[in-house]
Amino acid sequence: MTVTKKYSEEELVISLQSRDRQAFSYLYDNYAPALNGAIYKLVENRELAEDILQEAFIKIWNNIASYDAAKGRLFTWMINITRNLTIDTLRSKGYKKQQQISGDENSVSNYADSTTSEKFDSLGIRKQLANLKPEQRSIIDLAYFNGYTQEEIAKALEVPLGTVKTRMRTAILELRKLLQ
Amino acid sequence: MNVQDIISSGLLELYASGLTSKEESMQVQIWVKQYPEVAAELAAIETGLEQYAFANAQAPSASVKEALFEKIGSSNDKVSPAAKAPVKLMLVKNYWKWAAAASAALLIGSSAMNWMYYNKYTAVTAELRQNQEQALLAAQQMKDMKEDMSYVHSPFSKPVALNGMDPMPEATAKIFWMTNSGDVMIDASNLPDAPQGMQYQFWAIVDGVPVDGGMIVTNDKGQKFHMQKMKSFGKAEAFAISLEKAGGNPTPTKVVSKGII
Repeated sequence: MTVTKKYSEEELVISLQSRDRQAFSYLYDNYAPALNGAIYKLVENRELAEDILQEAFIKIWNNIASYDAAKGRLFTWMINITRNLTIDTLRSKGYKKQQQISGDENSVSNYADSTTSEKFDSLGIRKQLANLKPEQRSIIDLAYFNGYTQEEIAKALEVPLGTVKTRMRTAILELRKLLQ
Repeated sequence: MNVQDIISSGLLELYASGLTSKEESMQVQIWVKQYPEVAAELAAIETGLEQYAFANAQAPSASVKEALFEKIGSSNDKVSPAAKAPVKLMLVKNYWKWAAAASAALLIGSSAMNWMYYNKYTAVTAELRQNQEQALLAAQQMKDMKEDMSYVHSPFSKPVALNGMDPMPEATAKIFWMTNSGDVMIDASNLPDAPQGMQYQFWAIVDGVPVDGGMIVTNDKGQKFHMQKMKSFGKAEAFAISLEKAGGNPTPTKVVSKGII
């Protein structure tokens, strides 16, 4: 019988930095689905996504000592590692960043029927996110999941470069409002 | 740049998405340290994006975790050289490392002592039991001997020496005949062991006729060295021992020892 210990983010980081495998197991259980979802959005291949996920967690485990809470949340740090690794992998495998991402194709609603996704949606977040405007969802997806630069986002969404930052701000503000 | 301008610039959102340049990132980190409102805003942005990522979660196969833990198990806590931990954390880490090492050493030492003492304890217990058994045996022997001697010392005891006869001159024995009770005790310790399948039989000669007095044990658990009680006789002219087939005979076939009263 295993009792799942609950960690605060601070406790979790300290435990991980002292190489606590139990904490790492907890980290995996709680964050792997979200990171896997982020990878999947980019690679759209279950097997490849899981390979990258495993590699990402090895990186996280090996580099946890360099995580600094003063610079941001743990998940932000982890998704940065994961995103960079995913992009590197796609590049090394000769993939090109998918240019057709716009509108709904890679958006949350794509997973509306996915039971695996449903499992992690105990708060009904996805339902609330359905109210996010498609162009707002796109800019968040391109930046947060795809790691597009401001220039790439401007090109993909056909908007002036100077407006990317403010559009991004508006989109995330809307996201936060919906999640409240 | 004032706090409101920083917050509304959109730079925090880019930073949270990992899209800022190195210089921009450092600038954001300075602001975060400087302004609690900026730190709070950044945390809120990050939390929002985090929830967004969770809404897009896809459960990986169970095999991924297994393979992962197998890999980090074999990589044996290898920390990349680029990894820089805050000094304080390193100290804590080292302290716990030493504490854990010390605890482990103490545990091993303590276990070794336990093992040693346990072995000693079992050895001493076994020795004690052995001594107790020996003491018990000695007491039993003493009791048997006292009983034997009581026949010798008894005022009613009449000793009769049985002497070896022609076929077995070495077959001697002593009889203690209790004149009050008719009990016949035999000390057969000088009788040679009976050959395989044979047994000594005791006889009392009453009115010129040999009467069976019972079988003498010479080869069973040292019984030979104790006085053995034979059948009782109120009167007899002589006692004799014969060598018979195991179990005895109704009449003696080969008399080996005899004593006249």
